[in-house]
This record gives sequence, structure tokens and C-alpha cells, in this order.
Amino acid sequence: MTAVLLASSLCVASTIPDYPVSHPGDYAVSTRAAGLSIGVQPVEDPKDQETYFRAELKAKGFVPVFVVIQNEASEGSFLFDKTKVTYGPADSTLSTPKTGSRGADAFAAAAIPFVGIFAVPKIISNAAEVQHNLLKKEVQSTTLSPGKSLHGFLYIPVPKDAPREKIHLRVPITRAGADETLVLDLVF
Amino acid sequence: MLPRRYPFCFFVVLIATLLISEALVTADAQTVPPPDTKLALKAALVVTPEFCATKFTKGSWATVKETFEVGKIACAELEPALQKVFSSLTSVTVAPSSGNAPSTDAQVVLTPRFVDVGAGVGVTAFSNREMDVFLEWTVKDASGKTVWIETVQGSSKHHMGNVFTHSKNLKLIVSDSVRDAAQQSAIKMSSAVELRSLTP
Repeated sequence: MTAVLLASSLCVASTIPDYPVSHPGDYAVSTRAAGLSIGVQPVEDPKDQETYFRAELKAKGFVPVFVVIQNEASEGSFLFDKTKVTYGPADSTLSTPKTGSRGADAFAAAAIPFVGIFAVPKIISNAAEVQHNLLKKEVQSTTLSPGKSLHGFLYIPVPKDAPREKIHLRVPITRAGADETLVLDLVF
Repeated sequence: MLPRRYPFCFFVVLIATLLISEALVTADAQTVPPPDTKLALKAALVVTPEFCATKFTKGSWATVKETFEVGKIACAELEPALQKVFSSLTSVTVAPSSGNAPSTDAQVVLTPRFVDVGAGVGVTAFSNREMDVFLEWTVKDASGKTVWIETVQGSSKHHMGNVFTHSKNLKLIVSDSVRDAAQQSAIKMSSAVELRSLTP
């Protein structure tokens, strides 16, 4: 039993793949300004969520949105501060996305069904791996030097039991060492 | 039946068994020393009491509730790690930009903030589990403008431990992850073109 649990745990931990990274223009929604390109891809297909998160995240109340930003300028760096990103329906006040941790909490709240004493350690382990994976895949604040890019997920709350409205994502990016801020708006 | 359905999983267990002696040895965080060339900058490292007290509690009564005391270790590890990067580094407990801060001649002000931590949960006491700590840096120049932001990831692996050793193993995995984050911070700062461009 221990061997089976250990094998299952190791398999879960080792087989959650990364979401494929492409040029920002290759994603569902993209835009470009002042040498910066941004592309976003909501990952809403339950099969894709199972593949990349081992969980159905819509049922937990959020949609993972893959974000790729590239500094295509030959000079000048940009600062991406995750805490400045906001979202909301196109006609409402914008909010900040859930962090990976808060998304993981939403997952954890319903992740431990009672299935018998022998299966519990594996369930616990898998839930922890899923939460850990959410955190590791979350986009983080960084500096975009010329030619550099960043990628990762934002976890945006959506209704659990109803189709979501269009999401307006606002990504402010500041020029390093300056007060100039570019605002990239995307609707999807 | 089981090996036919899950050949890869059994292969993993077999390899793990063969390498058990190696697996029993605690895995140290993988670190690379920063380059030898220091940045010719006077830096102030802001380690506030709040930062040094940072801790994250994860899990629930139904799983394993754990507290990761990352701030205390970071406040011991960051200064020695970053002294290898800057020609001069001074720790301060109040951000120079705040009104009650003492004056400083620092050319750059380094402010760390813990974003989050994440850790797997091993199935058995001897299962290795991985922990990641995410540490965000904001670097401002003498005029107060932000010149560099970066989030570094510090990682390590340790055994889960049993009821008697879990507490000790938890401290080990936290300290190794934070130590790795400090080393990664040094590497990232040392190679940041935005910081190098500030040097005379």
C-alpha cells in the first residue's frame, strides 16, 4: 500500500507539465505598445486545467489566465509589478487578481473528501502538490530588460455556476528609473 | 496487473528504492556563487521588524498545519549574501523614504518582501518534499525611483519526517529554502543590467 501511495504521489509531483510558452502575438488576445508585447490566454477547457493544474479550477471559482509579456525594444527596461494588475467586467471597477496562494486556498477548501483512512495520505499529498503547482506557475513581479520576456498565470475569480462575463485586464508597466507608466488593456 | 497499468510509477519506486541511501541524505539547496565582480554601489538593505517576523501558516486541521518562519532566517542570511554583491552594504530597519528614517548616503535601497511559500506534503516520513519561497525585491535609486524589481525563488528538498522529526525537518527545509533565496537574490542582483548601469 505504501509503495502504491508513494508511486502515485511521485507520479503526480513529477508529471504536471508547464503551459507552453510562445510569442505574445500567438495567444488568444494580444496587444503591443512602446516596444512591449503582451498576450493572454484564458485556460478554461476542463481538460487543459486537468493537464496543467490537476484540478478543475472553474469549480473553485477562478479561471487561470496565462500571460506572456516581452520587451522587444532594443533599449530601456520595464518594471512589471504584479500587485498593480487589475481586472473586472468591462463596465465596472477593477480589482486585483487572486494570488496563487488564495487560489490554492479555494482549492484546498474542498480538496479533502472522506474516502477512507488508507487513501487519505495520498489525497493530502496530491492536494498539497496541486496547491504548490498553482503557486509555482503564478506570474511574478520582474524587470523586463531589452529582449527579455516573462510568463505565468493570473488567477481571476469568476462565478462558479454561471458563464463568466467578459474580463477586462489592465496591466500597468513602468519604465525603469522613470515615472512613465504604460497601461496595457485587454478584454477577453 | 498493477505493474502493467502503472509501469512508470513502479519504475519510479524501483529507482527510488535502489537509490534509497542517496535519498536518505538530505538534499541541499542548489546554489551558485555570484560573480566575483562587485557592483561599485553603496547599498542600504531594508530589513524592517515586520519583514523579520514574516511567517506563513499553511494547511488545515484536516491535513498538516505548518508554520513557515521565513523572516527570521532571511534577516540572518540576506546581509552576508548581498555583501558579496555590493562594494558597501548597510542594513537599516526603516526604509530611507519614510519620514522618520535616518539619513543615508546609499545609492540604492534594497527592499525585500516575501510573496508566498509553497511546500508539498510527503506521503511517508522518508518521502522527500519540495519547498519554494518567493522573495520579491524592489530596488530604488537615490532619487527614490524604482530601477529594478525581481522575484527570486528559493527551493530545497527534505524529508517530511515523522511525528518526532517533523518539526526539525520543517526548520531545515525552511532555512535551506530561504538561504537559497538569498543566494539567488545575490546572483540576480549581480547580473542585473539595470543595477550595473548605475555604477560610476
